[in-house]
This record gives sequence, structure tokens and C-alpha cells, in this order.
Amino acid sequence: MRFALPILLVAVTVGLIAAALFGVGQAGGTVGIAAGSALPGLTPNAGTPEQALANLFTDLQRRNWNRAFAALSKTSGVDEPSFIQDWAGANGSLRTFSNLEGYDSRPLHATSDDAQVRVRLHWATPVGPVEDVRDFHLTHEGDGWKVVWPKVEAPTVPAQVVPVTYLRWDLISGGAEDGWGSRNVDSPHVRIISMNAVESAEGSVVMGEVVNEDTIPAFVNVNAALVDGSGNAIDDESSFDKIAHVLLPKQVSPYRIDFPNINLKNVKNVRMDVKATLVPASADPVIGVMDQKLDPDVQGKSVLHGELLNQSGQTVNIPHVIASFYDSNGKVVWVADGYVDRSLLPQTSEPFAVEIPRTLAGKVQTFHVVVNQYSLGKS
Amino acid sequence: MSTAEGYSRPIPLLAIVLVALAVHGPLLLMQLPAGSFDTNFHIFFASHYVHHWFDPWNEKWFAGFSQTTYPPLTHQWIALLSNVVGLKMGYMLVQLIAVLLLPVGVFRFARIWVDERAASYAALGSVFLGALAFLVYQAGQLATVASAALYLNALPYFYEWMTEASGRSLIKGIAISWTAAAAHHVTLIFGLVLFAGPVLWVACIDARDERVAASTTGALSRAIVFAIVVGLGVGAVLGPYWLSILQHPIHQVPIPHDSRANLLLNSITAVNYFVIPYGALILALPFILMRGASLRRLRPLLLGFWLTFIFGLGGTTPLPRWLLGRAYEILTFERFTFWATLMAMPIVGLLAADLLDRFRAKAAVGLSLAAVMTIGAALTWLTANPYRPAGSVNVDSVVAFLNRDGHDTYRYLTLGFGSELAKVSTYTNATSVDGDYNSARLLPEMTHYGAAQLTNAKFYGSAGMGALRGMLDHANRYGLKYIFVHDAYYEPLLTFVGWRKVDTFNNGEITAWSKDDVPPAHKIVSDAVPPAWQGLLWGTLPIGVSLLALFLELFLPGGRRMPVPVEISAPAEEHYVA
Repeated sequence: MRFALPILLVAVTVGLIAAALFGVGQAGGTVGIAAGSALPGLTPNAGTPEQALANLFTDLQRRNWNRAFAALSKTSGVDEPSFIQDWAGANGSLRTFSNLEGYDSRPLHATSDDAQVRVRLHWATPVGPVEDVRDFHLTHEGDGWKVVWPKVEAPTVPAQVVPVTYLRWDLISGGAEDGWGSRNVDSPHVRIISMNAVESAEGSVVMGEVVNEDTIPAFVNVNAALVDGSGNAIDDESSFDKIAHVLLPKQVSPYRIDFPNINLKNVKNVRMDVKATLVPASADPVIGVMDQKLDPDVQGKSVLHGELLNQSGQTVNIPHVIASFYDSNGKVVWVADGYVDRSLLPQTSEPFAVEIPRTLAGKVQTFHVVVNQYSLGKS
Repeated sequence: MSTAEGYSRPIPLLAIVLVALAVHGPLLLMQLPAGSFDTNFHIFFASHYVHHWFDPWNEKWFAGFSQTTYPPLTHQWIALLSNVVGLKMGYMLVQLIAVLLLPVGVFRFARIWVDERAASYAALGSVFLGALAFLVYQAGQLATVASAALYLNALPYFYEWMTEASGRSLIKGIAISWTAAAAHHVTLIFGLVLFAGPVLWVACIDARDERVAASTTGALSRAIVFAIVVGLGVGAVLGPYWLSILQHPIHQVPIPHDSRANLLLNSITAVNYFVIPYGALILALPFILMRGASLRRLRPLLLGFWLTFIFGLGGTTPLPRWLLGRAYEILTFERFTFWATLMAMPIVGLLAADLLDRFRAKAAVGLSLAAVMTIGAALTWLTANPYRPAGSVNVDSVVAFLNRDGHDTYRYLTLGFGSELAKVSTYTNATSVDGDYNSARLLPEMTHYGAAQLTNAKFYGSAGMGALRGMLDHANRYGLKYIFVHDAYYEPLLTFVGWRKVDTFNNGEITAWSKDDVPPAHKIVSDAVPPAWQGLLWGTLPIGVSLLALFLELFLPGGRRMPVPVEISAPAEEHYVA
């Protein structure tokens, strides 16, 4: 027993550790704390393209940049700073706030020397989960697979002076007690110009458009309450981030209000309520929407593509696109939004994409895009 | 006394307690734990008892929650002491008492297994444990430390009752066990298996070997009596807790915690949850195994240590998940490492005695260095580890904002404040929808996501931000009007969902955000409000049993006649004094 018991305990411990290493007892940690690496010898060899990608993503999640860069093929057309910037973002873009939370990979083709893998990357961002589909090319080098990272073309902005002649509305509040909104003047005149309630995969959706009919900017929130046959409220929700909250005079914004897990059949009435407050606002930065077209993407989904062009002289850190889609009668049949994960430098453009449900793709005849934005230090 | 005698004699317990006071006293009086993860949480709970001793319903977090969801003893003692020294120093004093009780408990627990000399070394070593420093100064787990210290003090009475049928031991053991439960329920539940199991086993061994007067049947039957009385008492003392947990079992989505990670797959996690807590004890592991297995009386302790050790490894092995089931996703596992180090100490005491017998002054120097380096590494790690709480935030301006101009008629949220959320809550009159105690959350916006506090939402990825979005979406429902941001990460979301920056504090370090159409907060109806009789029980029984235990310990002295563990005695050839 003197030796048998210690040997038994050590053997059982090693066996249990091995069982956990082979996938039985894994547990996730927190996402935001990214540090450390596996103990030497415990990182699996990149014997397959999928394992090579898994090792790379593990290092990228933990921001082990040197190890990640070392896992790239020598044929990659990128240096380490560009590689880091491509992955982690720059200029206060959405990507700089994002962490890779998970991914699904699917091989497109593979030979003994090279492979193509399509990866759906799941990012955790401040504005919610964001998905990104990216194709990776891998080559077999030495005794393992390496990722070929493509050359990164970072936008360059020449030194220049950009004259601006935009409108701006300032607000003199009555004092510190007034908070940010003015309470001493009438609210801006804002009106809901369309409303449509539909059933979606997740529940019910109320959507439409709202217009600021006034000559002053308005901060707008659209609320909706679903009412059943006996006049009782089933649920009430607000437009949240599916609206451009600050509307300049005469500006129109789509809105969408989601009611998860509510069956539209139980709804007899929808009570709409729009609240508007006078706020300071400016027309800058001016962002143009170019080359909009509705096409299927590589996965066969219907996606509205286009380019955002920053026509002003300041960086837009996080652009947000909200699109309303109309049928042949001009009725709003869907409202969708999407965030652009790269910042819009002055006088440059970035592509955007907004997905619509496949079932609605055939109905859509026209669309209207509104661009919302977040710029660091200008909230 | 010759130098040889000096080495062969046990260290007086009073001297050990004074060493503990010398080591931890200054650190606690300097309020080093003030920046730990849970200190502000404990102070927040205590602050409620200061104002509402008999009403455990607290409106300040989660739009209302019951403090019967957490054993109250340590918080009530802080509340009592705060009347004299204030809340923060009250916390430090209660923590200091727990730290001073720990070596006493380790000494008495070790005496069940080893002779007085080795037990004294074990007690002295426990003062320098990395796991203790980790829990006190980094994690701020006041209740875990206090309960473990009390529990270790109760176990010798349990042993004496089983082996000697001593009525005094029964009464004292029961009173201290109730007190330990009133400090922390989890320690009692797991201590029953991990600590009391080996003690029961060794009592049976001693009875069978006729080392004690009791028979095996007698020891077992007395153990059952002890367990029944303790169980009934704990049921009563923590009655409101059990009722609340029965009414609202923890069904929330599991929240990730790094103590459940596989330590071998992340070096930082391994350092944080293994290297720092064990420190120099890692070098003693082979000895613990060999010596624990070589002596029959020590085998129950060795097996208890091994099981606790495996649990402390979290997700490094699948055993905790297999044995605990769903509870695995609720518990955190650093406390098991602490318990494992405590269980190892009697055998480590033997190692120290052997080393001193063999290498004299060299051993004394080596052991001292190992002990000091262990606690030194744990204290250094406070500033070096990436898991440390975010730097202290001056929240005075936030508290002042909430307490003026009727701002406290609305609810508020903090983002990026970490454990300072509890500090804001302690000193403001306003109420929040967030809170820093996962088991008390009932709001669906929080329980439906695998994330803990909203103020730390980003650390839980999409789950955390999903919970935050859900809460912001229902801001009007909860009267949530003010958000204080200490991390620019959250600003894009607030901007896009319609919040506007209204103020900045501390030279821009903190920004205040507001939403204009939010109505004043109203009371959220909850079925979790404890009735008045539960408040009365909660305010009397836990503190009452602690006073009873104190009274019995002081005024009901009883000679402890621990069995001489004859197998363990090793003849010392020569003794030297350092």
C-alpha cells in the first residue's frame, strides 16, 4: 500500500487529465480576458488544414501575435504589423472593439499541397454578435499546414484640406437641471408615415418609417405595444438600434421593433407611440451611399450590397446601415441593418452588406438606405 | 532550553497566532483587500444590515433581491463593527479574525492526525499559504475563509465526540458547525464530505485499533447523532436561505468562470489557479503522497486531500463535472484549492519536522524562505496577473450625482466599473438593475444569458452584451435612466440605441449617459420578498449561534486529549536550534 496508493492516485490523476485533454471536461472562460498559451507540447500539430486554422485562431483570440504570425506561410504577402492591423482593426473601427468568439469552418477543396477553407467567424462586439465569412488558403509546408494571409491594402488618405458647409443646430439648455434634452420648447413634429406588422422566424415584427416634419432636429424613439382581442397589452418594445434616433429636418428613417416569441395571430391591435425631443445635431459627417444592388452572396443569401463614401473630413469610426425594403406597392416589407467593421476614413469608401430573409427576396422591388454613425468623442 | 530542545518542541499556538497577526495584520489594516473582487460585495451586503437588520429584502440590486440568498454571519459582524470603525475597516477586522482563527483551526485539525510538534508546524505554515493570500487579497472571499477556519475548529470536537463521547465536545462542535454554516453554506456542504469524511474514517480506524476507548459502532452512531443535530440546526439557522433556494432554484444559464478552465491549456490560468495558491507546496506534493500513503492513519486524509486537489483543478479533469452535474456550472473552484492546501498541512507539518530533524538550521532557513516566497508570490501576483480587478475607480462623483436633484428616483447602471459597482451601490440611495451576486438574479434579461454582472458585460462576449442589450431595450420598464461608463467599449452601443452623454466626471474618466423618455422607477413586484418572520430569524439565529459558540469556547473549557498517533512518531537523533 505504501507505494501502490501513490502510484494509483498519480495514475488516476494522469488518466483524468488525459480524458479532459481529449475533450471531456472542457469549459469556456471569459472572452475579454485573453492571455496565456497552452503548456509546451499540448498545442496540437497542424496536421490538417482545419487544425492549422484552429491553432491560428486560438493564438489570435489570445492575442499571441508573434505565435500567430509564425503560423503563417512564408508566401503570405503581409508583414506582422499589417497582419495585426488586418485582424484587430484600426482607427477606432468596430473591429478594434471586437473579440473572436468562435468559428465554423468548411473545406472547399483540398489536395496534398494546398487547401481552401471557408470560415464563418463569430465576433463579439459592443453592438452585438457580428458574423463574417472569409475564405482561407492554406499550403502544406514542412510537416504541417500554414495559412497564406493575403496582402492587406490599407486605405491611404493624402494630406488635404476639406472645406465643409454643413448645417448645425446648437441648443442652449435652461441649465444643468435640464439634462441633455430641452424641456422649455415644444417637441419637434415627428410622424410615423408607415407601419406594417409581419410574422418572422423569431416572433412578430412591427416596422415602417418615421419622418421629422419639423425645421429643427429631433431625437426620436418609436415604441409599440401589441394588444390582444380583449384589449390587454401582450408586450411592448421599442425600436432600439433599428432606427436612426437623430433625425434632421425632413429626414426619414426606417424603424423596426422586434417582439420575440410573440405569435402575430394573437395580436388584434398595435398601439404605436413616437416620442421626439429637441436635440443639438449636425449634418456632418456626410456619408454617401453608392452602387447599391440586391444580389445573392456566395452562400446564396439575398444581400443588399453597396459602398459607403465618407465625403467629409473626419473619420467615421463605426458606420451603421439601416435599410427599408419596399414591395411593388411601395409598402415597407422589411427593415434590416448592418454594421461596417472598418472605419470610414475621410474621402474613402468601404463596402457594406445587409441581409434580408430569403422568403422576402422575391417581393422586394426597391429599397432605401439610411446611414447612422458613431465617431469617437462625439456622442 | 538548549538549541536541540528548541527544535524538537512544538511552537506555542499563541506565538503562531502572533505571527499571523504580524503578517496579515498590517496588510489588512492597510486595506489591501479593498481592491479584491468580492470585498465591495461583502461591504454592500453589510451596509444593508446596518440599516435593515431584520429586513433582508434589498432594493438596491436587480430591482430588488433577497439577502437571504447568501449566509449573513460575516456581513452582520461587519455591520456591527461598522458602528465603531466604519464599513471598510469593519470588513478588515472580520477578515483579520478569520485569518487568526485559521492557524488555530489548522493546529487543532492537524492534531487529529499528527503529533503536537508537526501540528504546530502545519499551523505556522498555514499563515503563509498562497491560497489564503489569494482568497483574502485577490478574491476577497471573506465568507469562505471564515467558514473554513470555523469548520476546522469544529472538526476536533467532532472527533472527540465520536471517540470519547464527550458531551462538551458535542455541544461545542455543534455550535461551531452552525456558526461555520452561518458564515458560508458551500463550505459546510463540501466540508461534510471532504473534511468530515476523513475524520470519521480515522475515528473508525482508531476505534478498531483500540487507540481510543470507543468502539467502531459507537463512533459511527455518535457521528450520525452529530450529523443529525448539525443538519437540523443548519436547517433552522439558514432556514430562509433554504426556503429561497427552494422557491427559486438556480436555473439561470451557466456563467463562464476561468477556474473551470483546463489549466494545461492556458498558462496564465495555470499560474493563477495552481502555481500561486500552492506555491512551495508543489514541491511537497510527492512527499504528501508518499507519507500519506505509508501511514494507515493518514490515508483517509490523503484521499480527502487528493479528491479536493482534483476538484481544485477545475476543468483540467472531468471528475468535478461528472460528480457535481449541474452544480459544476454554478461553483467556482479556487476554494477547493484552498481547502486542499489546508488538508495537506498536517502532512506538510510532518515533512517540516523531518527536515528540521535532519538538516536543522538549513531546513529552518529553507522552510522559512519557501513560506515567505509563497505568500510573497501571491502578493506580487496581485499586480502582475491579467485577472486582477480593474484599477480602483473614484466613484464619489457618481454617488454624488445619484444622490442629488432627485436622480435617485430612477434606476442606474454602471459599465466598466468591475467590483466598484458594489461601492457605488453601498453609498447611493438610487437603485440599480445590475448587481454583483449571480445567485440572487431573477430578472429574465440577466438569467437568460450566460453572463454575470452587466457592468462586466464585455468580458462575457455575446452573452454579456446580449444581456446588456436586453436590459437597455427594457430601460423604460425598469425606470433605468442613468448609465455611468468607465470603459469606452460600451459607448457605440449606447449611441446607437439612443442614449446621450450628459456629464463627465474625474476629468473624463467616467461619463454619464441618459435617456430622455424614461419614466421614474417603480417597485418591481416579486414573489421573492421574504416574509417578516424570515427576516426575524435571519436577524437573530446566525448571529445568535456565533455568540453561543463564542460563549461556549470561552466559558466551557474542556481538556482535549488527542490520541497520540504512535505510527507517526519518528525518533529524532539530534536536535539543534537555529
